[in-house]
Amino acid sequence: MAQSGGGAVLRDRTAVAGVGWTEYTKNSGVSTLALALRAVRAALDDAGLEHSDVDGVACHRVGDSASAVLVAHVLGIRDLRFHLDMFGGGGTSHQVVAQAALAVASGIADTVVCWRAVNARSEFRMGGTGRAAPDAPEFQYQLPYGYATPPQQFAMLDRAWRHARGATAEDLGRVAIAQRAHAALNDRAMMRKPLTMDEYLSSRLIADPLRLYDCCLETDAAVALVVTGAERARDLRQTPVLVSGAATGGGHTLFSNGRADPTVSAAADLAPRLYAAAGIGPETVDVAELYDAFTFLVPLQLEDYGLVPRGETGGFYADGHASLGGRLPVNTHGGHLSEGYVHGLNHVAEAVTQLRGTAGERQVPGAEVALTTGQPGYVGGTSSALVLRRDG
Amino acid sequence: MSPVRPVVDRDSAEWWALLATGVLAFQRCSRCLLWRWPARALCNGCGSLAWRWEPASGTGEIVSWIVTRHAFLPDVPAPYAVLSVRAAEQPDLLLPGAYAGPPDDPRLAIGAPVTAEFVPLTGEGAPAALLRWSIIQSSA
Ligand SMILES: [Zn+2]
Repeated sequence: MAQSGGGAVLRDRTAVAGVGWTEYTKNSGVSTLALALRAVRAALDDAGLEHSDVDGVACHRVGDSASAVLVAHVLGIRDLRFHLDMFGGGGTSHQVVAQAALAVASGIADTVVCWRAVNARSEFRMGGTGRAAPDAPEFQYQLPYGYATPPQQFAMLDRAWRHARGATAEDLGRVAIAQRAHAALNDRAMMRKPLTMDEYLSSRLIADPLRLYDCCLETDAAVALVVTGAERARDLRQTPVLVSGAATGGGHTLFSNGRADPTVSAAADLAPRLYAAAGIGPETVDVAELYDAFTFLVPLQLEDYGLVPRGETGGFYADGHASLGGRLPVNTHGGHLSEGYVHGLNHVAEAVTQLRGTAGERQVPGAEVALTTGQPGYVGGTSSALVLRRDG
Repeated sequence: MSPVRPVVDRDSAEWWALLATGVLAFQRCSRCLLWRWPARALCNGCGSLAWRWEPASGTGEIVSWIVTRHAFLPDVPAPYAVLSVRAAEQPDLLLPGAYAGPPDDPRLAIGAPVTAEFVPLTGEGAPAALLRWSIIQSSA
């Protein structure tokens, strides 16, 4: 079943031992450095560890947040054994955790804190400014056409995907509605009022075909995770959630000599390696937390991760299979669409919560294996994902 | 349409200069003849560093399009359409551009054939032009 080598060397050797969140707000009133430290403190408290136990730090950012080394200095880590300050957006979110797990599994570090801290609403909006992504020479070929922001870039992919699959606005409305229903059971979520199909369909077109309710919620928040060895985690406060498999992959360039078909993401290449690394198949996944900056990315990833056959995601949602109580609950926290946008790491945090069995009203009964994913590699990005497993 | 000028870099300057003369060109590998764009120093088909600019047909087909209804940029009034076009030269050669017709043109369709037009940019800076695509009317 499992393939040797590759990512399988990581299997179940490390664990997420702590999770921490700040509040989710529209204006945190504090720096991203403060947000990062609050989330890290909460994650260490959750694990039952002290800041002096930390010997590695890892984050990703796009020039919008405090540096990893600054957080390390404030934490007082003098002998910093592992340091990752990855440039990148949501596609790198899960790679940050994977790299932390590799560092721990290889003995480079004992305990690594991972975080993402953003004032994505009050200070540094991703979606609405036309601001150039740093280090992106491709921007010159888009900005002169008034084509620059993530909603526009993803709308271009969205239309191609809908066309190829015969998906309707109602199909994507069901994704937003299902996630909102999950968020209603999540105290942390920014948007908890049930969403109706009428409201979805009458929400304004931002970048046609993308509507307002297809777009994630720009949020001020931070999420942090503590990654340590599986054995060490078993001596700590929480049920360990094992990093069973991790994989990173490529992506679509915006232009040439890459992938000619925009309707299949790089996740389709990554998925077989990920499942092999974890020694499972897609049928083993109990709950899926899939990167959802925009609605269509969710059914697209259900296809590309082999969870639902291509072209059948509309029926999957219509039949309630992606909702709590369904065959494969998806984005049980409400996702970026309704919980808030912490650029991928809040999906890992939700997967950990589900596998601990502490998700309260939104708990997936008996959840043992979770798939959690970053942005599947579009818009000049890369892709990354994790399979997590409840210990025992 | 837009007064926003491209921020040209050392790789792209020649491409923009050609566009300003009404020539849509792509890089072409001297060894394996693979087309590529934007300008890059190395061919990811064969690994060669040798290349030349080669004029393209200026035709292609619509891969997708968007209509921006909520203005993102102060200088670009909404609504307006932007196309992603697959160049006729090679299936994985995708490039964006403006649309010559109205944003809600019922002729906009995935797979529709298009041809390039060149819109000179006025204002300060090196000569430059932008791409604008128009749908090729079928002769039937
Ligand atoms: Zn070549």
